[in-house]
Amino acid sequence: MNLLLDLALVAWLVVLALHVARTGDDRNAIVAFIAFGLLLGLAWTRLGAIDVALTEAAIGGGITGLLLLRAEAHLRRGRQADGAPRQGGGAKTIVAALASAVVALGLGLAVLAFPSPAPTLAQPALAAIDATGLGNPVTAVLLAYRALDTLLEKVVVLLALLGVWALTPDNLWGGAPELKEANPPQPLLYLARTLPPFGVLIAVYMVWVGADAPGGTFQAGSILAAMWLLVMLAGLSPAPETRSRLLRLLLVGGPALFFAIGFLGFAVAGGFLAYPKPLAKALIVGIEAALTVAIALALGLLVAGPSNKAPAR
Amino acid sequence: MAEFLTGAAFFILAVTALGLFRVLRSELAVERMMAVQLLGTGAAAALVLLGAASTSPATTDVALLLMLLAAFSCAAFTLGQSEEPGDAPAPKGDES
Repeated sequence: MNLLLDLALVAWLVVLALHVARTGDDRNAIVAFIAFGLLLGLAWTRLGAIDVALTEAAIGGGITGLLLLRAEAHLRRGRQADGAPRQGGGAKTIVAALASAVVALGLGLAVLAFPSPAPTLAQPALAAIDATGLGNPVTAVLLAYRALDTLLEKVVVLLALLGVWALTPDNLWGGAPELKEANPPQPLLYLARTLPPFGVLIAVYMVWVGADAPGGTFQAGSILAAMWLLVMLAGLSPAPETRSRLLRLLLVGGPALFFAIGFLGFAVAGGFLAYPKPLAKALIVGIEAALTVAIALALGLLVAGPSNKAPAR
Repeated sequence: MAEFLTGAAFFILAVTALGLFRVLRSELAVERMMAVQLLGTGAAAALVLLGAASTSPATTDVALLLMLLAAFSCAAFTLGQSEEPGDAPAPKGDES
């Protein structure tokens, strides 16, 4: 029964992916792509990678979908203004299809070329987990064994946000991005009032449970960002001005705390990003909480885009 | 028992998939968006069943997240809808 379920899941994923690729209309393709992300979350669960499943659901189902829909709405507005028809060349399609096929084939060959019991560090990771006080080996890898990678990853998110902000015209610098729809429909207003309390609760739960079970910073941050974007879309609360000092402090706060604790490791635990053993869990949960706020703000602002209103004098 | 629960999950997913392809091919934009809702509900139900079958409680968390984000995606879909010409209750998503 399990094998049947897995085979069916693979078949649905492939068919849905082909549907996304074949759909001519951009918005239909994006809607199918969001559905694909949700189904992929289910597939990761079947593989036993619950942490990945949570991330895939949060990013694929939440943030990416909104980002793509916003980009499509923007492009469509531009096309309507030009009056130019959409360019869809036959040659381009064939080149893109060939490139995708080559990449898929290459990936398939690479996966088949893996040695058959795959080299794994799972046993050493589990053996050392008691030193961190955590129960979830994925969190232990992310915030203890390979904390440097996670730290740099958070800095990269900030750099990406700087890249988006750099697109702001000079006269609008420091202003707020505008997300609110012209006439938000009633159901959207209703949803923007009812959904965020549940979302915030689930996000807090995700951070807290991440120490001992699947969950963690990035998932929680994406959920918070999605809820924040929903409130901004409905116009219930305007987007913050990008020059706001509090906003910038919160954005930098998470990685800065991570760096500070990392350097403190030299003094108390004998190395960069080393935690003193009795405090390890408390420090890790503290870093996760600060990072969640920073990631939620950064992801929300990434989707909101560069400011398009002049700052209030 | 686990076998039965997995079978039930398979059945739910099969029915959801059939519904999904019917809805995704629909002419109406609103109906296509319902595909995401459909999948959110169907996949969450399947996950809860699979979680019970495999006794891994974290699977339920994935179901929780799928429900939340399926509802969120529907809200995101209203983007750019308001400026579409003609205030028809179900505007078509077709180009030009």
